[in-house]
Amino acid sequence: MVNLILINPIYIIGIGLGTAFLLGFFKKGKSVAWALMLAALAVMTYISFTWLWSFIFNGQLPEQVYTAGFKPPFSINLLMGKSEAFFTFLISFVGFLGGIYLFDKLKEQGTHAISVYLILIMGLNGIVMTRDIFNLFVFLEIASIATAGLIVLTPDIKAFSAGFKYMIASGLISGFLLIGIIFAYYFGGTLNIDFLIQADLLAVKGGVFAVFLIIIALLLELKPFPANGWGIDAYEASPAGINAVISAASAGAVYYVLSKVLPIADAKWYTVTAVVGMITFLGSNLMGIKQADAKRMLGYSSVGQVGLLLVFLGLSKQLGINFEFIVFGIIISHYLAKAGLFWLAGIVKTGKLKEWGILRRKPVLVFFMGTFIFALLGLPPFPSFFAKWTLVMTLSAAGMNLWVGLILLGSLVEAIYLFRWLGYTVKLDDNKELSLSTPLYKTIPVWVFGLLTYYIGYLSSTMVPGGSSLSMFYIPLAFVGVLFIVDKFLPVLIKNTVSIAAMAYYGWYYMADLTEFRMLFAIIFIGGGIITLIAGYAKNGKRIGFYPFAMMMYAGLAGLLLSENILQFFISWELMTLGSYILILRGKKSMPHALSYMLFSLGGAFLILAGLGLAYASSGANSISLDILKNVNQYSGLIYAFLAVGFMTKTAAIGLHIWLPGAHAEAESDVSPMVSAILLKAGMFGLVVLMLSMGSQSLGGVSLPYLLGWLGAITAILGNIMAVFQEDAKRLLAYSSVGQLGYVVFAMAFMSHLGWLTALAFALNHFVFKALLFLAIGGVVMRTKTKTMYEMGGLIKRMPFSFISVLIGIIALSGLPPLTGFAGKWLSYNAVIEKGWYFQGFLVSIAGLVAFLYCFRIIHVIFLGQPKDKFKNIKEAPLPMLIAQYILIGAIMLFSIMPNMVLKPVGDFLIQYFPDGALQWQGGTAISRLGRWSGVAIMNITMGIFGIIFVWLLFISRKAVKVKPFNIFYSGEAPSRPELTHFGYNFFAPYKKAVGFLVQPLVTRFWYGLADILHSISDLVRRLYNGNGQTYAFYVIIFMVVFSFFTIGG
Amino acid sequence: MDFGQIAVSVGFLLILIGVWGILTQKNIIKIVIGFSVFDTGLHMIMVGIGYVKGGTAPILDGAIAPGTAPINIVAGIVDPVPQALVLTAIVIGLGVTALMLAYVVRLYEDRKSLDISSYEDLKW
Repeated sequence: MVNLILINPIYIIGIGLGTAFLLGFFKKGKSVAWALMLAALAVMTYISFTWLWSFIFNGQLPEQVYTAGFKPPFSINLLMGKSEAFFTFLISFVGFLGGIYLFDKLKEQGTHAISVYLILIMGLNGIVMTRDIFNLFVFLEIASIATAGLIVLTPDIKAFSAGFKYMIASGLISGFLLIGIIFAYYFGGTLNIDFLIQADLLAVKGGVFAVFLIIIALLLELKPFPANGWGIDAYEASPAGINAVISAASAGAVYYVLSKVLPIADAKWYTVTAVVGMITFLGSNLMGIKQADAKRMLGYSSVGQVGLLLVFLGLSKQLGINFEFIVFGIIISHYLAKAGLFWLAGIVKTGKLKEWGILRRKPVLVFFMGTFIFALLGLPPFPSFFAKWTLVMTLSAAGMNLWVGLILLGSLVEAIYLFRWLGYTVKLDDNKELSLSTPLYKTIPVWVFGLLTYYIGYLSSTMVPGGSSLSMFYIPLAFVGVLFIVDKFLPVLIKNTVSIAAMAYYGWYYMADLTEFRMLFAIIFIGGGIITLIAGYAKNGKRIGFYPFAMMMYAGLAGLLLSENILQFFISWELMTLGSYILILRGKKSMPHALSYMLFSLGGAFLILAGLGLAYASSGANSISLDILKNVNQYSGLIYAFLAVGFMTKTAAIGLHIWLPGAHAEAESDVSPMVSAILLKAGMFGLVVLMLSMGSQSLGGVSLPYLLGWLGAITAILGNIMAVFQEDAKRLLAYSSVGQLGYVVFAMAFMSHLGWLTALAFALNHFVFKALLFLAIGGVVMRTKTKTMYEMGGLIKRMPFSFISVLIGIIALSGLPPLTGFAGKWLSYNAVIEKGWYFQGFLVSIAGLVAFLYCFRIIHVIFLGQPKDKFKNIKEAPLPMLIAQYILIGAIMLFSIMPNMVLKPVGDFLIQYFPDGALQWQGGTAISRLGRWSGVAIMNITMGIFGIIFVWLLFISRKAVKVKPFNIFYSGEAPSRPELTHFGYNFFAPYKKAVGFLVQPLVTRFWYGLADILHSISDLVRRLYNGNGQTYAFYVIIFMVVFSFFTIGG
Repeated sequence: MDFGQIAVSVGFLLILIGVWGILTQKNIIKIVIGFSVFDTGLHMIMVGIGYVKGGTAPILDGAIAPGTAPINIVAGIVDPVPQALVLTAIVIGLGVTALMLAYVVRLYEDRKSLDISSYEDLKW
């Protein structure tokens, strides 16, 4: 690699300090002073860059820089190693960009402010490089006084009071640090950190006192929960541009200091550091939930992230060789994302989270906001994802499962408020009274950090163990990237065509070789994707933000099928979740539903991650192939349970289903079939992989498939009952999906040939008829502008093609002969009888009966009865949607006549897993141990009977009087609630009286109750931060006392 | 008890008084004074720790006979390092006090109150 000329790092300090003094001469020329400051920061950045470059590419060795002509311990020395180069580069770089961003603020406040800003960056650089502990103290003081000065860059009373609180706390902390340093000198005889480490202070009597004070002071500088109110208040009060620097640079610097000083202590202190970090991570994120102000919320999140870093530092020995990679990933994500988010907060200006809708005026900025939030939360393809992945694998291999659990829990809590915020930004009103000014000097830093997030993500993906296998994502993600770039310019017509072509090509080129299950699911994912996209031609305009995310979701789905190792699998899972989250969020009223979808999905993903980690550890921690699931030695029940529950958050088993109805019903008309008919199958595919790899496991003596069977049966019946009582057509279909996936889980739990044949055939069927129904109802909703069924009625004449679609759909759904659903039923009864799960089987067959009710309701209320006046001139659904529907109808007809087309190949590959009890085929006739069944014969018989009855009905009703709307009247009274007079309202009231108690929203109440409890705790605990500077100082002292119990007291 | 020990003990006492002042006084100027007391105690500890019994100031002047072997010079003077450090610490302490007082002035101008509990706008 190119050799860069290395410049002595002392110049970083020298240039910063020298320029800051020089600026005093430019009191009038504020712009000149600002430019000089930037020049100085650019040079400082460049110096660090040359070192970083040489360390990475040219094998540079760390270099000591001596001052005053003596070697340590007689003089101060600086060290420039790889870590120092990295951290100083980060500091100066964000300083540089932040300096650009602060152009207006700094100019307003004049040259002094510009000097102070430069001094802050210089001080932080010094903190990182110095190896002298007293010098370190001086630099810390410089940085903290400069910070206190910059907090009041917008001089208002809040800023001054926050600055004062900051000074009280940091003054106390630095006082204690100084006592610690002087005693370290007394007991260790030196101020040089390396010599202090050698001196082994803890071995000296009294030395523990010095160690205690130094470490506690440095920990307190990092704002541990709850002794951090002073820091949080400062975040809220200071200008966002300053916060970006404080959060990105200061936190990194002080963290690095702690990591270089901590070796003066022993293992116990590392553990305590990890515990303090964990409490901070959990506590701060809990506080974040109740925040309504952007900067304060980000402050809590910043503090939490630093807590996470402390955990890593404390566990550095256990993390071993992966420590650096993990810290790198988390730090760099925090650095880029937090600076970026604070910068955005400065652009939006309004502190209130609910007013962030104005950011939508600049869609690119919303895109970067999403990028930063995903990066913070560790979603692929961002660096923190790879760090978190490596972390979980490493900790699991070390058997530290509690730590894994707590870290994932904290991340989930963080996700609550960050995704809620993103939801507000994307969905809430754009308040026209607020202004949004986006001068270039404010957007450029955001752009730079946003793009860097992707680039570093790519770099991290090549560094993670198993990273070379990730090239499979390059082509699909590159395509998604291109879609993002052209999204603003191209119309739907082009983007839709390109997307369909790309999916077809990808499927044909990469997935044609798939076999068995993977092929079956490929047909659902890719084939289904293409069909639903055809319906997308019905949309006009540009549909900005749809195609990139839809393609991301499909890339994830395809990735699941192509995965060979757990890393690929998990990334695919997350990509799919991410894409579908945005798709769902696009719906008109879908904000809360998208949030709960994301939280359940993330919770599920974390369970999957924990399960994979356990599996990795339990199979010997030497392979990440998917096959490790077959070789687990211990925890097998737990792994099975984690993975199964994780996958069932997607299939929406009862208890985990509350996100589904809203998410599916509120989505756009062609998104509903994507998420309901296609996406749910991803969870099923996960279950397939799991159950085939691990077979039957038990936990605490209970067979897990047996539990799954019950769960599936209960989901089936309750899902269907809930569907019956919906007034909203799309919700009805959504609940019906809950029930249907219950069948699937139930059938899979048999772990028998017929069970699996049922499940797989049903999965395919469900995809076809649910996509059909959602498209047909979606078309109706598009025209009527309502989803409420009783507001429709009589649409059969205006929308006959949609009527036929729905009719075919419900026949297939309800499992009536002659269509495909009947094949499923026949198989499932065979399977139930073979397995002997009669009671569960009974529940499921009742569920089938219940399905008749809602099928009847949806077609009757929407299409039959009297047409409404306002829908007199309504048009049939758009042609592209009808085309998609009729392709699906074609598929249903084909499968119905020739069921062996699907069942035979599926049965053939099932034999190797479940050899016992396979179907025999004679032409088109299936023979099981219990009986036989032929699709063609059934079709003929049914159509014959239908034909006879139909002709007879026509004959007897030839004299019937046609009822018109005005034959019905209300005796001149206008009803106050018109829906009460409609037969379609509360359609199954008697049934509701009878069995409604079964579907009381108990589960919903449970989850909402949980959310309430979480919010209440958050609200209660945050009252610790009463805003009083003295109270904060008191917490600092208390923290020290408690800390002393656990370190020197015990 | 030599000078050094006395200085260290008094220093700790002053630190305690300082912390007590910071934590209990409602008047923000008194809190700043608390910091000054705290700092003074700190400086006394620093100087006290470097004290060598019977030692003279670490300046090569008449107090040390010319031609004394270096090893004996070291025994005859107090440790110069803490003395150098304390100078820096005093300067920093001055800076901190000045900045805090500047804040007090601005706070008082705005609300005409010196009570710290009048400045709790930011919380939770």
